[in-house]
Amino acid sequence: MEDERKTDRSIAGFFNSGLFYTGRRRKRTRRFICYPYLKRMIAKVADKKDSQMKMYTATIEKEALEPRSRSAYYTRQKLLFIIVMVLVSVVPLIGISFFSFQYYRNSSIEKTSSELASLADSRKEIIELFLADQNNYLGDMLNLYPPEYLSDQANLERLFNATNRSGVITDLGVIDQTGAHRAYVGPYRQQLSDKNYAEVDWFSGVMQNGNYTSDIFSGFRGVPHFVVAVANPEKTLILRATVNSDMFNSLLARAEVGPGGDAYILNKKGEAQTPIRLDYLETPFGLEGVSRGTSVYRTDDFIYTATGMNNGAWVLVLKEDINNSLSEFYSARNKAVALIVLAIALITTVATVITSSIMNRIRTADRLRTELTNRMRRVEKMALVGRLAAGVSHEINNPLQIIEGQAGWMDELLSDEKKGSVLNLDEYKQSIAKIRTHVNRAKLITHSLLGFSHAGEMVIAKTDINQMFAETVSFLESEAGRNSITIVREFQADMPEIMTDSSQLQQVLLNLVNNAIDAIGRDGRITVSTAVEGGKVVIAVSDTGPGFSDDIRQRLFDPFFTTKNGKGTGLGLSISFNIIQRLGGDIKADNNEQGGSVFQVFLPVTSGSSSTKTKE
Amino acid sequence: MDELSVLVIDDEVDFVDTMLKRLRRKGVYCDGAYTGVGAMSKMKDRDYDVVLLDMRLADEDGNEVLRELKDISPETRFMILSGYASASAARTGIGNGAHDYLIKPLDFETLYEKITRA
Repeated sequence: MEDERKTDRSIAGFFNSGLFYTGRRRKRTRRFICYPYLKRMIAKVADKKDSQMKMYTATIEKEALEPRSRSAYYTRQKLLFIIVMVLVSVVPLIGISFFSFQYYRNSSIEKTSSELASLADSRKEIIELFLADQNNYLGDMLNLYPPEYLSDQANLERLFNATNRSGVITDLGVIDQTGAHRAYVGPYRQQLSDKNYAEVDWFSGVMQNGNYTSDIFSGFRGVPHFVVAVANPEKTLILRATVNSDMFNSLLARAEVGPGGDAYILNKKGEAQTPIRLDYLETPFGLEGVSRGTSVYRTDDFIYTATGMNNGAWVLVLKEDINNSLSEFYSARNKAVALIVLAIALITTVATVITSSIMNRIRTADRLRTELTNRMRRVEKMALVGRLAAGVSHEINNPLQIIEGQAGWMDELLSDEKKGSVLNLDEYKQSIAKIRTHVNRAKLITHSLLGFSHAGEMVIAKTDINQMFAETVSFLESEAGRNSITIVREFQADMPEIMTDSSQLQQVLLNLVNNAIDAIGRDGRITVSTAVEGGKVVIAVSDTGPGFSDDIRQRLFDPFFTTKNGKGTGLGLSISFNIIQRLGGDIKADNNEQGGSVFQVFLPVTSGSSSTKTKE
Repeated sequence: MDELSVLVIDDEVDFVDTMLKRLRRKGVYCDGAYTGVGAMSKMKDRDYDVVLLDMRLADEDGNEVLRELKDISPETRFMILSGYASASAARTGIGNGAHDYLIKPLDFETLYEKITRA
């Protein structure tokens, strides 16, 4: 226990002292001889230095060693990007569209309203002109002809026929101040000739004002009509004309409001004075307030104009269907909406494509970065392990030298002793010989451990890969044979000679083949191959063992990671990794499709040219 | 030169002492030094044929000592015996004028042979 602690401290002290050395390569054969011993020795060191190693491995983040499932993260990121991109472009598009639609709709309604108002004005003028015409006609007759002349039936008929060729007036009556008919021309002679008008609205109106235009009424004839009446200045005689309703109505029909619209005249009581084309709807405004000017009223569906006329007795109403007037706007809007939908679809597609491509790049970059980080960690770990190995073996070499010296000294002195004078002389000699044997053994181990850790020590030379590999395999052939494992060589002929450190490379291949033997255990096949692929030399060792899980694969090259249950040191692959890195190559581990594992070493054809300068 | 003279420099006292005993037994004249300073004074007193030198001493770096001793006695053969099994250290040592670079542990017989041949 005490000893162990001392060793711990000395190693820790050494480790912290900063005295890290580079190893020196020993003769190849020695290393091979010592290999099994070395493994055992490091295993022991590793066991004893458990606490040290724990301290060391604790610095490696666990996530870095585990495969991270980031695909959900990328999917979420991608969706987020797409949504943001689409929103950023679509929301303003929809907003602009909405507001411009509103604007154009309102301005379209404004335009329709003002058009309707000017139409109403012009209609009113025409109608008032028409009514004034009738008044003037009657007034002219009263002025031109004396009352007696007009009261004569024959004269009136002649006048009527001469002046009313257009048929604007249906009938013409001459009435005296008592309200009795003096003469009548027209189709209702039978019904009207004996009637007295003294009690009728229009009669009192004309007697009061001198002229009068009536609302529509049925009167004595029983047919709806309206009359224009004018009295002579003395108010002794009245000329009354019935206006041809069809002709009057046609004045409004020619107002040419669109489909769904209407033009009609109401009196102050809201009674229609002209036919209403469509279903009569209550006017949305009070008729009392309508002045001579034109006012515009708007409901959800219709625009109304109301124009006072006939001295405020009538209201000319023009009505326009808003939706109808907006039909052009709506068809334009539908086209615009279709375009917007198309644009949104395009934006979404483009956003998806761009985002996918960006995310793929990010994913690739992330993966490369993670790989690089893992590699850097591994390289760092390797450097540390290399220093530790070098430190341990250096420190052990000094006491070994002393032990060797002391044993040798004792041996020398013992040879002076006479046989018999020293009891157990042979036993001493044997014991000393054993000490020296084991010192020698320890020496081989420490020297080989140094061999593992030459950081930056390279001896680059032209190397025949096939020959070197064949030689390496031959070292392990007998061990493989003992375990009924056959080694199949599949070397590509005429491999190019490459510049590399053949001794270090051989160490790596030795590790790989040795691992393959350990992985198979008994009965199996190891295939070793060489090839040139894409400007690189590929050296592969493939076995029929159990292969490894993804979890193990992540940690294969970690120092002190072993699957050999205490029989391995966990250093072989990490040192191999280190060596191949420094040779400017790469090492990869995979499972075979047929089962078992395959390790591939990739080396540039001109290997190590840049690494030779690397020195500690 | 009838009698071979050797200076053993190492901060491992046990190593130096045993080495001296064994060399003397072989009839070699030898002295030991545990520090660079000690080695320097020994070197000034006598011209050694061979100097056996460790690369790491308690007070000084072996290469420093080697250069200084080489200045004092350019004729002497210097052999480095070190636990540092590093090619670059070996190159440095040889570059500084060492005759050989040996790695510990080395058995006495080989060492003796190297010394006598030097």
